Amino acid sequence: NKIKTIAHPAERKVTGCGECC
Amino acid sequence: MVHVFQVKGHWYLFDTGSSSLHECDEKGALLMREKLGEKVDVSHITEKERAEYEEDFAELEREGLLFKEEEKTAPVKSKEVKALCLHICHDCNLRCRYCFADEGAYHSRREFMSLETAKKAIDFLIENSGNRRILETDFFGGEPLLNFDVVKETVYYAKEQAAKRGKKFLFTLTTNGLLLKDDIADFLNREMENVVLSLDGRKEVHDAVRKTANGKGSFDLVIENLKNFVKIRGDKHYYVRGTFTAKNPDFSKDVLFLADNGFDSISMEPVVTDIPDLAITKEMLPRIGQEYDALCDAYLEYMAKGKGFNFFHFNVDLEGGPCLAKRVSACGAGNEYFSVVPNGDIYPCHQFAGDPAFRMGSVYEGKLDEKIRSKFRDSCLFTRKKCENCFAKFICSGGCSANNYHFNGDINEPYEITCEMMKKRTEDAMHILAEKKRLGRA
Repeated sequence: NKIKTIAHPAERKVTGCGECC
Repeated sequence: MVHVFQVKGHWYLFDTGSSSLHECDEKGALLMREKLGEKVDVSHITEKERAEYEEDFAELEREGLLFKEEEKTAPVKSKEVKALCLHICHDCNLRCRYCFADEGAYHSRREFMSLETAKKAIDFLIENSGNRRILETDFFGGEPLLNFDVVKETVYYAKEQAAKRGKKFLFTLTTNGLLLKDDIADFLNREMENVVLSLDGRKEVHDAVRKTANGKGSFDLVIENLKNFVKIRGDKHYYVRGTFTAKNPDFSKDVLFLADNGFDSISMEPVVTDIPDLAITKEMLPRIGQEYDALCDAYLEYMAKGKGFNFFHFNVDLEGGPCLAKRVSACGAGNEYFSVVPNGDIYPCHQFAGDPAFRMGSVYEGKLDEKIRSKFRDSCLFTRKKCENCFAKFICSGGCSANNYHFNGDINEPYEITCEMMKKRTEDAMHILAEKKRLGRA
């Protein structure tokens, strides 16, 4: 009741695929 | 690591390990700072209150949203090339005082890229792209529209070659807008995935640094072209990109000037220069921090009035952002992204173009200097020791290699002035994210 979570990441299943300055 | 900060009376806790953002009140912030080893006065906080905060801290920690250990994921080690910046023209029809490209000539002679070289560059990218399907090409300068015929033919050639190989190109072009009209505007609107338009804001600010060859301001020569282009652009990507210098520390007024003039996708970057009357100095940072706060206020005010705009640095995706490998490896310059100058020589990125120490080969040779490439591939967030204790490290990825090199002589030595501005913008971006959540707009 004292702290409110604004955002946190969803589970990250994909890493380093390279498909994404 | 937990970063405690305040924006506009709101207190936040940002957990770098989990990329989680929490909001608390001043007492919660004080107790967290005490927990982090700071000496703070918490005498006004009752034992009952302390117990409640401690309970919340513990619950968040159990959920992995506070004090989460940072993962040490390896950076992207791909050997595929995925993007090229084509210096289609080393010449410019403006003489901007702060131009890192030496008024387009990159400290060399003024030169246009031939269609033959541009085609060779496209072939080089396709040949070295491995299994990657989406490829990127940026048309850059100088002013690329001075060599528009080569831009046009290169786009057609790239699309034709990509179709044969089951690949697709995304094109970007950066222009000062002087030649952005009629058929050229139609072509760019049709073929470019993104167009970056250079405009510094208010007329007097723009004209003080962005001058024509005869020394006159260029604002009146470009403004209608840029406005007309944005009208035909519709929902497609573009950015109006300004540069602020020591001469306009009140740059939030320039951003709002752009927003008031119909530009709703805006980027305003601090100048990177050592020209004494333009350079951003350490002493100016508090003033610039205040200005980002003022812009943050105005951004939210415009949003509330239904006149919202996109400001490049106020976007932060904490929920679906890129994977850790990407965050650790950053822009990819010198490894998967390169720039090609008019004679076909290859450099790690546009900011290194023309420096003989960073020449990596040529599109006519078809291979890259692996020694330089491995230097960039091995450089990542974890090789930048100054970043170790920075809360923004997984958001900025260790800064710009070129800035690091040009100011500190080492691509792994972050440039402190840029760091401080990045941290300030990140705090404001997180506050904006929280405000949007409160308003149900994120």
